[in-house]
Amino acid sequence: MSQIEFVLPGQVVKDVKSVRGVTILGPGLRQNEDQPNTICVTQPGKLYFKSPNVYWIEGNRNRYIPKKYDLVVGVIVKKSGDMLKVDIGSAEHASLSLLAFEGATKKQKPDVQVGDIVYAKLLNAHREMEPELVCVDSYYRAGTLGVLSNDGFLMNISLTLAQKLLDIQNPLLRSLGKRFCYEIAVGVNGKLWINARKTKDVLNLMKVFQITDQNAKTDLSEVNKSIL
Amino acid sequence: METELTKSTFSCKLGILSRPDGSAILSKDNTTVIAGIYGPIEVKLQKLLIDKASVECHYRPKSGLPGIEDRMHESIIRNTCEASLVASLHPRTAVLVAIQELQNSGQLISCAVNAVCLACLHAGIDMKFMFGAVTCFSNGVEMSLNPPAQTHIKAVFVFVFDSTEKRVIASHTKGIFTKEQFEEAVELCRSGSDQVFDYYKKVLTN
Amino acid sequence: MSDGYKTLHPVKYYREFLSQGIRPDGREFNTFRPILLNVGSINTADGSAIAKVGNTTVVCGIKAELCKPKPDAPDCGFVVPNLELPPLCSAKFRPGPPSDQAQVLTQLIAEIITNSNCIDLRDLCIVRDKLAWCLFVDFVCLDFDGAVVDAAVVSLLGALKTVKLPLVEYDPALESTQVFLEEKKPIKLHSMPVSTTFAVFEDKIILKDPTLEEETLCSGVFTIVLKDDELCCVHKPGGSPLAPEELVKCIDESKLRTPLISSLIATTLKS
Repeated sequence: MSQIEFVLPGQVVKDVKSVRGVTILGPGLRQNEDQPNTICVTQPGKLYFKSPNVYWIEGNRNRYIPKKYDLVVGVIVKKSGDMLKVDIGSAEHASLSLLAFEGATKKQKPDVQVGDIVYAKLLNAHREMEPELVCVDSYYRAGTLGVLSNDGFLMNISLTLAQKLLDIQNPLLRSLGKRFCYEIAVGVNGKLWINARKTKDVLNLMKVFQITDQNAKTDLSEVNKSIL
Repeated sequence: METELTKSTFSCKLGILSRPDGSAILSKDNTTVIAGIYGPIEVKLQKLLIDKASVECHYRPKSGLPGIEDRMHESIIRNTCEASLVASLHPRTAVLVAIQELQNSGQLISCAVNAVCLACLHAGIDMKFMFGAVTCFSNGVEMSLNPPAQTHIKAVFVFVFDSTEKRVIASHTKGIFTKEQFEEAVELCRSGSDQVFDYYKKVLTN
Repeated sequence: MSDGYKTLHPVKYYREFLSQGIRPDGREFNTFRPILLNVGSINTADGSAIAKVGNTTVVCGIKAELCKPKPDAPDCGFVVPNLELPPLCSAKFRPGPPSDQAQVLTQLIAEIITNSNCIDLRDLCIVRDKLAWCLFVDFVCLDFDGAVVDAAVVSLLGALKTVKLPLVEYDPALESTQVFLEEKKPIKLHSMPVSTTFAVFEDKIILKDPTLEEETLCSGVFTIVLKDDELCCVHKPGGSPLAPEELVKCIDESKLRTPLISSLIATTLKS
């Protein structure tokens, strides 16, 4: 993986590498129809390349665009019959069936109320359709998915920070764990649910995430040191 | 003929508002504008387009309610955004552009257009190209990119260019001018737009 | 058969026509629609005209009222244009307050009037700082079929040509005004603005004098207003980008319209 340069919308990237005529384009890039072997940039950010043929852009996007199989945190906003409407921060509310929970049947449905927070997976996300969530995997097991406890707190963070927190090599969550005892659910949609034994701890943790969000450019490990 | 846009007069800050997905405050020669972008967001059924995102634009003047002149600014900004955003990526959604004028000492349209472009870039919304507006003044003999101090102004031109091929996206003129003057003004603004795009790059890489 | 195809794939339908160098209504890319003008159609107005460009119909009525000039411009009268797009003219418009489009068009016409200087506001002043004419120029669109500004500007010229203002005498001592309805004088037109609208189809083809259907399918519309040999407005509110050379070419094209419109107005006024 290598970073090539900082690019702006409208720029054309030349000499694109492809494998048997195929180039994989990530977010912020578009095929250029006019010239072969070039791609158009549509978002400002850093252009990355991973051999042999993968290109993508890392910029700061603030609005979540649903992607298939993304794990998200959402708030139930409406309940009608068997269907729930969930706010996941995208343009359209996602739908979640009451039967898409572990062990749910027609007779025995889980108790989900408006205002509850769920950790769910996007089963379907297409720009022409409403996003669809499920709280079970393909074996009908909940795993970590499902309704999150009402004792926790929800906060919004930037999409970039959410990505960083989900990076397994990121030391922040681990080092915070040395200090506090807490539960956390991070959705790629920039919503974060957090719970701890004491409310004071939760507030401290939220403060940490807020500070890291504001200093997005500074290294996370430095933020660590200043807190601990 | 003055062909240099005095660069130091631009000043800008991105992300000054926390609620919008992208925001920018831009000031040039004491004209200051804040622009905010939300999008893609839920669309009103009335404005829903099935093949692309619809762009809504709200312009607020410094004081009072928006008048018909502000509606014209809105229409220029909305149509410019429609041309530049990759609207087909997000069908059945809306992109909301909100502009608040803070201070007006001339060249308001170009300042507002540039602020909107910076806000779009900050929001990371998909764009086909960037757009930059340049104002140009004519006193009947000479053209200048900076407002002449004393001389009588015969015509004012505002052009919005795209960043790739520097073609004219929008044009708005005031006053009387000849065809030759028009051509001259386009060329002058076209070269002036380079500085606008360079400035965008400087703001974003910082 | 072709009707169904047109409804299902309007863009494709147009593309196929345009690739043959002709428009679905039988015109070439750079032909205007026929213009009709009728003047003095409204008796109760001080000046009026109906202009028809193809199907687009605009009625213009001018009402003159006496008022006091503004203190910052004591020797100037007023011209207040207003364009209405009633639900009658197209299914796009609903009753209620003026739509955004109506407001933008009103502003464009106001700018055309001031930029072209066709009426000198000083001509409308009767007594400095005391009394001046205020011309309310109202446009009502009866049929909205593209290039409304063009039709509005033609009807404006027709209506202005027919305006006759009565003689007014002002007595500064008594501050009273006396209007002599028998003695009427026309107002002086200093220039003749002529507007031409163009539409850009799929970033390439430029269509002159578009219909509503063409305007909605096209990715950009722009208007050029000429005053004799000079330009007074090049209004392109966004839309697909154009090279400057193409804009200049359109300016040349729109110059062809000026003699047409001036002869049209001359013959209408004669008959």
